[in-house]
Amino acid sequence: MCNGYLPIQMRVDKVLTENPDKTLKTFELSFLKDNDRENFKYMPGQFCEFSITGKGESPFGIASSPTEKDILKFTVNRTGSVTKEIHYLRPGDIVGVRGPLGNWYPVGKFKGGDVVIIGGGFAFTTLRSLLVYMLEHRSDYGKITVIYGARNPDLFIYKEELEAWDKRNDLILHLTIDKAVEGWTKLCGFVPTVTKEVKLDPKSWAVVCGPPVMIKFTLPVLKEIGFNDGMVYTSLERRMKCGIGKCGRCGIGSKYVCIDGPVFSLEELKNIPEAF
Amino acid sequence: MLKIKKENINTLLEELMKDYQVYAPVKNGSKAAFKVIENPDDIFTGHVKSEYSPKSVFFPQSEVLFEYSKEGVSIPEKKEKPYLLWGVRNCDTKSIRMLDKVFGNARQAPDKDMYKDPYWKQKYDTSIIFNFACNAPLTTCFCNWFGSGPFDESGSDIFVVETKDDLIFKGISEKGKELLKKLSVSEISDKKDEEAVSELKEKAVSMMPEVTDISALYEKLPKLWNEPIWQEISSKCVNCGACAFICPTCHCFDVSDEGKNGKGKRVRLWDSCMFPIFTMEASGHNPRGNSVDRVRQRVMHKFNYFKDNYGTHLCTGCGRCVVVCPVNLDIRDVIKDIINYELNKKVPADV
Ligand SMILES: Cc1cc2nc3c(=O)[nH]c(=O)nc-3n(C[C@H](O)[C@H](O)[C@H](O)COP(=O)(O)OP(=O)(O)OC[C@H]3O[C@@H](n4cnc5c(N)ncnc54)[C@H](O)[C@@H]3O)c2cc1C
Ligand code: SF4
Ligand code: SF4
Ligand code: FES
Repeated sequence: MCNGYLPIQMRVDKVLTENPDKTLKTFELSFLKDNDRENFKYMPGQFCEFSITGKGESPFGIASSPTEKDILKFTVNRTGSVTKEIHYLRPGDIVGVRGPLGNWYPVGKFKGGDVVIIGGGFAFTTLRSLLVYMLEHRSDYGKITVIYGARNPDLFIYKEELEAWDKRNDLILHLTIDKAVEGWTKLCGFVPTVTKEVKLDPKSWAVVCGPPVMIKFTLPVLKEIGFNDGMVYTSLERRMKCGIGKCGRCGIGSKYVCIDGPVFSLEELKNIPEAF
Repeated sequence: MLKIKKENINTLLEELMKDYQVYAPVKNGSKAAFKVIENPDDIFTGHVKSEYSPKSVFFPQSEVLFEYSKEGVSIPEKKEKPYLLWGVRNCDTKSIRMLDKVFGNARQAPDKDMYKDPYWKQKYDTSIIFNFACNAPLTTCFCNWFGSGPFDESGSDIFVVETKDDLIFKGISEKGKELLKKLSVSEISDKKDEEAVSELKEKAVSMMPEVTDISALYEKLPKLWNEPIWQEISSKCVNCGACAFICPTCHCFDVSDEGKNGKGKRVRLWDSCMFPIFTMEASGHNPRGNSVDRVRQRVMHKFNYFKDNYGTHLCTGCGRCVVVCPVNLDIRDVIKDIINYELNKKVPADV
């Protein structure tokens, strides 16, 4: 019988430290077994339970895109017991992974439309997946706009890729930091303010991911501009254990974030007072 | 219907024990719980409802998911006979059927096996439940509020009524009917037995409390989200979680690794939404940081969310939480208070 609690084994191939404080690291993993590699089919927005036996499990959004074959990437913020342990991992180490779990950004529905991606801090993980996926299928989508904010320039993740994306002419990238610092030539200001200023087309699809305060203040801005609740998506975070809709931990209203989400449209969240 | 003489019960049980792992109420100190029986005499029959529900048969308080070591993970091999549950009351039969909706199925992706719980299915799918009628319901029983009753057969595999000298059996599910055909010790029941059953039923039904109409509960609850009623209800609660642990339908669990030096077990353990740490996130943020939120969650899950997803309330009226709550927070009062709560009523400023 198929067992959703059993992790598959993966090998850590690369570890990249994303910021000078070393609180954010990106791990690139590869599959140990051929049939795991073949069976692991995912979409941008899905997540995995990352398992360090003896320490426990933690959920992380998949930062790689399904178009990047044979690997998985996760970016992990060091904050508690499991994430501390994950940060000790070195290339060659073997870890457990369960997934892919949850639903995904509706990239099929986005086809033919303009898409706005709004992210903050290290929550850019699944947004990276989404962006890389859409760029690989570039002709399927209209205008792609990205607004990405961080407290200071150090706290952006995927800095090399951001530079490369910035140079592309089929994508508009707005990088912003909270307060001006020496040498920073891009935007300054909080994400909600920037969102208001960059003149978005309210007929676009939007995906918003970031710290709760950012989401809280960005959503009303989108509404004000005239975005449709059914076309604005966000990815929710809740404490999780099983990831497969059994343990009851990640409930918001009658939904479980792990199986009914983590991706929800604002339309779906309207009647769930617990959502934000 | 079939019957067997009470003096033959042990012979019957011994016959069943050959093919099944038989679980029945066994006295453990002053309280009864469902345990595997080695001997039919172990069964405790002197009460209506075991203090602990048979939920633990399929969903134990602590259960090993797998063992791990440096070599990888492995599931401990279990060779067990199918489970047979003897002496289950209808409220508990119903609760097991409810839990199967959660564990045995994948609501959002019915065809995806990875979302079905293999530990539950391994035990549940081949199980058979002997549901015993309640001849003498307790004062805390209120299953009739949920459309059930002491002689409710629905959900049973085999429905059993204990008369003065016999046990009367009725096959309800296909599985139950098949099993009854195979029993060697039974005889056909007659008209007199049926009369005895009707009499017992009438008496039991008359002992039940007056039914409170709960049909408005589901729709009313979401409207009360921001009302002060939750402060009132939760003010007594000490968030001990006893109600959830004793409840045959509460099914939340925690997952934890136990072991050292790279070797150990990943286990799941009953947990409760009554505990603040249940939803506490690594950042320190807690979506249900106070007692009011958590008590509301328990009530909402039972009487609104579960119905949204599965079409029934997640409570069978077994009354166990009424018995164990150290501060006498009575779920029946909570239900009534919600139903009687006047929306838009003026609240004095000092409440
Ligand atoms: C769908 C989803 C996607 C996520 N994606 C990322 C990501 O890409 N990068 C990242 O750095 N973080 C992500 N998180 C948050 C991350 O899961 C937590 O920061 C992490 O679990 C903390 O684990 P810990 O053991 O270090 O903390 P502790 O405080 O020691 O927590 C103990 C355990 O509680 C659970 N837990 C605690 N906080 C959370 C939480 N916020 N969310 C879920 N479970 C929690 C975990 O099982 C954890 O192991 C995501 C969370 C969810 C739900
Ligand atoms: S909530 Fe109370 S009465 Fe209802 S099933 Fe649970 S223990 Fe029984
Ligand atoms: S048993 Fe009573 S006090 Fe304890 S959590 Fe349940 S309602 Fe609250
Ligand atoms: S994490 Fe267990 S139900 Fe969602």
